[in-house]
Formats: sequence, C-alpha cells, structure tokens
Amino acid sequence: MTDRDDIDMLAAEYVLGTLDADERAEVMQRRQADSELDARILEWEARLAPLGDEVEAIAPGPDLLARIERRIEAMEVTSGTGEHEGKVSQLDALRRRLRFWRWSTGLASAAAVALAAVLIAPVGQTPSEAPFVAVFSQDDQQPAFMLSVDLDSRRLNVRPVTAEPLPDRAYQLWIKDASLGPKPRSVGVLNDDLSLPTDALSDFDPELLKRATFGISIEPPGGSPTGQPTGPAIHGYLYPTDRDASGQRL
Amino acid sequence: MSSDRLQELLQRVTRRDRLAFAELYDATAAKLYGTVLRILRERSRADDVVQEVYVTIWQKAEQFDAGRASAIAWMASIARHAAIDELRRRPRAPHESDDALDQTPSDAPGAREHAERDENARRLHACLAELEGSRRDMVRLAYLDGWSRADLAAHFEQPVNTVKTWLHRALKQLKGCLAS
Repeated sequence: MTDRDDIDMLAAEYVLGTLDADERAEVMQRRQADSELDARILEWEARLAPLGDEVEAIAPGPDLLARIERRIEAMEVTSGTGEHEGKVSQLDALRRRLRFWRWSTGLASAAAVALAAVLIAPVGQTPSEAPFVAVFSQDDQQPAFMLSVDLDSRRLNVRPVTAEPLPDRAYQLWIKDASLGPKPRSVGVLNDDLSLPTDALSDFDPELLKRATFGISIEPPGGSPTGQPTGPAIHGYLYPTDRDASGQRL
Repeated sequence: MSSDRLQELLQRVTRRDRLAFAELYDATAAKLYGTVLRILRERSRADDVVQEVYVTIWQKAEQFDAGRASAIAWMASIARHAAIDELRRRPRAPHESDDALDQTPSDAPGAREHAERDENARRLHACLAELEGSRRDMVRLAYLDGWSRADLAAHFEQPVNTVKTWLHRALKQLKGCLAS
C-alpha cells in the first residue's frame, strides 16, 4: 500500500466516522497543513454526502434558535470588548449589542428598526419597580422614548422623553424574538399622546419578554401598511436599572 | 428551499445578517437535528451539539465554497462531524447501541425516492448495492449512526483489524465504482 493510499483511506475513514477520538483530532490538525489530505477529505465528503439524504428530518425544540442566538450575541458582544469593568464598559457592551441588531436588521430590509435588548429582572424584585427599561434615543443622543415592562403583570409603559408627536406620522412599537419568527412583530401603534395601552404585551409569555428585543419605527398614520417596519428608525439604547441585572445578561 | 437560496442566506450570514441566519436555521434545523439525533440518540446531547453547529456555521460561513459542496451538504457535514466527535468523546451506553441497530432502516423507500432526484445519489446507491451485504451495512451504520470500528467489530463479531480491512475494501470498491 502506498502513502497515497494510506492518506486516501485515512480521509475516507475520517469522513465515514470510524476513527477514534485521537485519530480524528490528529486528522483535523493535520489537514490544516496537508493540502493533499484536505483535498481527499473533501472528495470523500462529496462521494458519501448522498447517504445523508435518507436521514429523517426531526424538528428541534422550539427554544433552540433562541439559545443559539443568545450564544452568538454573547460572542459578538464580548469579541473585541476586552474586560467588562464597571458600568461604563457594560454600557459599551450593550451599545455594541444593540448596534449589532440594528445592523443585521438594516441589511435585511430597507427599513431600519431600532431594537433594544431587555434586561432580565433579578429574582425577587418587587413588581412595582419596573424590572427593565429600554431607552430609545434619536441620533444617538437624547433618549426619545423610554419603555418599561413589569414582567409579573406583563404591563408596559411607554413614555416619550424628548420625542414629539409627528404630523401625519405615527410611532410603532415592535417586538422581536426567535419564537415569533425571523421578523419583528407589531406590539402596537402609539396613541396621539405617544402612549400605548398598558396591556399591549399581555399576550406574550414573560419568558419571551425577558429575551425579546424591542424597537420603535416611524410609520404612516395607523401604522405600517406592510406589517413590517417601513419607516426611519429611532435608535434605542438600553440602560440597566440594576447593575446585577445587566450583569446577568453580559 | 432551493440550494441557491440557502447559498444566498449563507453569504448574507458572512455579513452578520441575523435575519438571514434565522431563515437559514428555519430551513435547515430539522435536517441537521435529525442527522445529529440519529447519531447521539439523546435529545439533550443533540441540543447542545446542534447549538454549537450553528455557532460554527455563523463563524465559518465565509469558508463555504459552493464549488465543492451544496450549502446543505456543507452544513450537514459540520453537524455529522460534530455529533461523531461528541460520541467519540463520550460513547453511548452499550444497550443504546443495540437500540440503534433496530432503528436502522436497510433501505427506506423514502430514501430511494429522494435519491432518484439526484444523479450523484443514484450512483452512490447503485455502487452501495454492489457491496457485499455486511460491508454495505458497515458503511451505513458508520456514516448514518456514528458507529466506531469497535462498535462494528462487536456487532459483526470480528476483530477490529478485520473490520478495518473490510471497511477499507468497501471504501475502495465504492470509490472505484463511482469513478467508473
């Protein structure tokens, strides 16, 4: 048997899956530098791939995408941030996370919607205190809106801070979570006084609210005609109401 | 979902597009989960592995080369290797392997039907059919169910080295058949 045969059989067995843990680790390492081995592996992958056609598709649990997104989020936030020390860097991390959401949403649709992540309420917090607050600000400067949600009663309170009612335009609040599908879902169109009914989130499970992201967009009167954000965004920044609470998310 | 669409979504994922990622997940998760669960046979382990698989896809989407594999084949390969790595690190209890054998279909009609759609698949199945029965089973049990040489040796009541020899012969025969 020639060396070439050996390499080919090593690649074949690697792809087939019959090597033991050490051998597999060795192949993984070796293929980085050994283009011959790498090419053989790719050939065997292509040869045997049709065998996988007969694997029965099985839906994973409904929470898996959310788990994956949280992992990715944590990864994207921590990459390049260095150590998180004190409030300032926590806030930086939150901003980065928010930008991350904004960017991906902006790429995917012409309409940019501001999305702010929400904080997990610390266990035992009294319901009267707003467990988490998302602040939506305009031009990255002053807060335009503040959204607080009480998880226990699922009551929400939207308050304009500097935002003004716009002539012939409406503000619309959106919620986004993996379990609701890939697109933001409308929570409601803000009233003329820029308020929303406090029970607007009552249909959503508190667990979902904890991990969901929120956004506010500017829409035609009566709200988006398409069911998706179409107008310019008010960008949101998120502020922890409690240091420990933000720590849980970071 | 078409192969072109999956490829487009993967390209968008390289630009950190979260909506594209979610759509890609929706279109492929059942296939990848089925692949991993068939090997690991335990939902909690499959959950963990599939989670890491999608994190890998997020990180390495730019390594996808459409000239070498279809998007779904590339993703399924990441999933299968992750499941096998996990299984080699922490093998199943022996009785679970026995269960696996019962559930391994020999040649499901659905599979054959699916294979008809694709010339490569048709040829692979034709070449598999030319293998001697137990060698064909070995290839399938290894590829689809994650069986190691030792698992195969125990089941076919042969020394591990004999299994290795049989596997090599089967693989060479497959390669020759596919090349002809």
